[in-house]
Amino acid sequence: MSQLLRPLAGLRIADFTIHAAGPFSTHVLSQLGAECIKIESNARPDAFRKPHAVYGRMTAATFDQVSANKLSVRLNLKKPEAVALAKRIVAVSDVAAESFRPGVMKRLGLDFQNLREAKTDLVMLSLSASGQDGPDSHFAGYAPLFGAWGGLGWMSGYTDGPPVEMRHVMDHSAGYHAVVALLAALHQRRRTGEGQYIDLAARDVASAMIGDALVMASLGEAPIRPGNEDLLMAPYGVYPTAVADRWLTLAVRNDEEWRALTGVIGTPRAAHDHRFATADARCQNRTSLDLLITRWLSDRHAEATARRLQQVGVCAHTSWNMQEVADDPHLRQRGALTQVEGPSTEKRFAVGMPACFSKTSDVGVRRGTPSLGQDEDYVFGELLGLSTEQRAELEQREVIM
Amino acid sequence: MSKNNSHDRNSLPLAGCYIVERSRTVAAAYAGRLLATMGATVVMLEPEQGSPLRKTAPLLNDGTSALFNYLAAGKRSLICDPQTEYGQAILASELGQAHIFIDDTPVKARNTQSLDPDHLAGQYPNLIHVSVLPFGASGPKADWDGEEVNLIHASGEGFLLPNGRSYELFPNRPPLKIYGHFAQYQGGCAAALSALSAWWAIRDVGGQYIDVSVQDAMLLCGAFALQRLGDGSLEHRATRSFRYGGVFEARDGYVELLTLEDRQWNGLVQLLGNPAWAKVEALTDPLERSRRGNEINEHVREWMAQRNVETIVGNAQELGVPAAKYRTPTEVVSGKYEFLRGLFSSCTLSNGRQAEVLVAPYRFQRTPLTLGHVPPLAQPGERVAAKETLS
Repeated sequence: MSQLLRPLAGLRIADFTIHAAGPFSTHVLSQLGAECIKIESNARPDAFRKPHAVYGRMTAATFDQVSANKLSVRLNLKKPEAVALAKRIVAVSDVAAESFRPGVMKRLGLDFQNLREAKTDLVMLSLSASGQDGPDSHFAGYAPLFGAWGGLGWMSGYTDGPPVEMRHVMDHSAGYHAVVALLAALHQRRRTGEGQYIDLAARDVASAMIGDALVMASLGEAPIRPGNEDLLMAPYGVYPTAVADRWLTLAVRNDEEWRALTGVIGTPRAAHDHRFATADARCQNRTSLDLLITRWLSDRHAEATARRLQQVGVCAHTSWNMQEVADDPHLRQRGALTQVEGPSTEKRFAVGMPACFSKTSDVGVRRGTPSLGQDEDYVFGELLGLSTEQRAELEQREVIM
Repeated sequence: MSKNNSHDRNSLPLAGCYIVERSRTVAAAYAGRLLATMGATVVMLEPEQGSPLRKTAPLLNDGTSALFNYLAAGKRSLICDPQTEYGQAILASELGQAHIFIDDTPVKARNTQSLDPDHLAGQYPNLIHVSVLPFGASGPKADWDGEEVNLIHASGEGFLLPNGRSYELFPNRPPLKIYGHFAQYQGGCAAALSALSAWWAIRDVGGQYIDVSVQDAMLLCGAFALQRLGDGSLEHRATRSFRYGGVFEARDGYVELLTLEDRQWNGLVQLLGNPAWAKVEALTDPLERSRRGNEINEHVREWMAQRNVETIVGNAQELGVPAAKYRTPTEVVSGKYEFLRGLFSSCTLSNGRQAEVLVAPYRFQRTPLTLGHVPPLAQPGERVAAKETLS
């Protein structure tokens, strides 16, 4: 399809990001049509190319969602000539993105100040745990730590239990926010002709997810950890059904929806029970209400019940595992699920763009994860104009490796 | 129309961008909030009784919604009911000057309010029209509705929570959602970035319609679990925890600890005082450490329980061991780190009170972001004033 059918066609990214959050941001931009050049090396390959023992993955991954769509080149950034080549890639790019620990890019000679010499109107993202400066900038961190520092971990959990560890969704949420910021900076560049440097701290994204609780805390009103409850809606939560470990999620927002629910339950009298007659009453009698719902669902199946409730306007959905997600016709039809395959990858599902564009409709995952250095003919050859002999010589001296 | 008392916003990244927002849901409102903070003029069109979000939990002691105040900071408010002729005139006036329209009107309710995409595309060919709905505006479930608890479970992430310590303690309890509106915030990000992408392409293709789904956005956010399924592993919260590390209870709070690299493991061993159990040859192998994860965690749990959080975390980070305190909202809002990064800004809430409100989770070096105030619901006089400007 034409490049014009992708909203970010023509934009190019020099991608130095590692781990999950940074690569997610450039992956999303690549789904939108930006050309993303992933810069790594044999000495420091991306994490997905290695085992991830703490997670239980004992071998390299065969597919990596956040590397999909990207081009791959090898550069040994410990060598000055490799750094010079990286600068040349930046010079022909619109955006540079990195997610090393603060200070690493400067030591490499690839910080914003240096890269602006190569590209005066560069838009650059540095994504880190705790920002580029400040008292904690040197701290090491991963998604669970972002959640802990930022307060999201504390606010999540059973009310009478410990805080909950955030997983890769925390990384990817940081990546989502980075995309929004990068696109705003690109618009700013289009309007003013000037570049921009964005310093995103992933722990601040965790704080942004509890912005309401922070407003309360600022006023001296200690927010409570609500678990699965919504403080103004009942019934609201996750309920067991006839099958073990099979849960139905349910949310009733108002009296009309409550009446619709009682119609499905088959106890219309419950609609007029004074304990449940209003939203306030239902919240005050939440325990009795949850008992009523739990008894009703004890011989019901989640999927059929969710469909029935949606038909009468009640918010309900089964708690799906990933197999059910992968099997869903709705997600497939929308392109949220898309199939990819590659030379070393069997056909499998990846997640496409969460948006359908009426005109620039060719968004999404177009190819799987690149093998290391697979796009050097294009990047080093076509974009940078290096000859085959020059590249061979650089490879021999481990500049390209 | 209420005024936004922000600083000079002309230098901000999205200065000059005019956005009209109709939001009943957190996703649509968060999209507008992200864009407003970066300099766009965002006008909320509210029904006469106000956005439902003005009454959404959590509430402050005086009944004002803390959530709404967080989401509406920096926006303007205008009363507009598109079911009426007057409302249609306001809508036309606003969309006539808008670059972007963010809307979460359910598909079934669009026609009666002249909000269907084809109609708007005909009327406003250069408009970026972003629909953001729980399950999107197309597909077999386009008419399904969902609140946060439904959406985080529809994307697969809810089923996987909690993992680690909470699951160990309460294995028989229902799965647990992330606090607040995490899935809808991802939907808001997807709507905002889609809007800016389409606006980027406007020179080539003109305006267009974008159909964003919160379920899809949360699924992309949790894509790693689908990736694991492709690797042959159907994840469950019982088994998704890190093999070692996680949440540990200290004497005066909770610590998160995670060592992924060998050097971090070596730092942890040093932090623990080089105990004999950790110095055995087998544990130099990361795969063996994973196999013995439970045993390692028992030792670490016992050690942590006898110490204070700040001591543990300070010493750990000195040794390069990733460790963090589980901080409360009160600690975050008064934290030195947050103060030095300028994460919060004083903001007048809709009830007239002053609070410190989070600005944005990123800093723009050349043009620092600012936070406007929260608009109160427009009063009748302001409606007249707005009407007078329509012509």
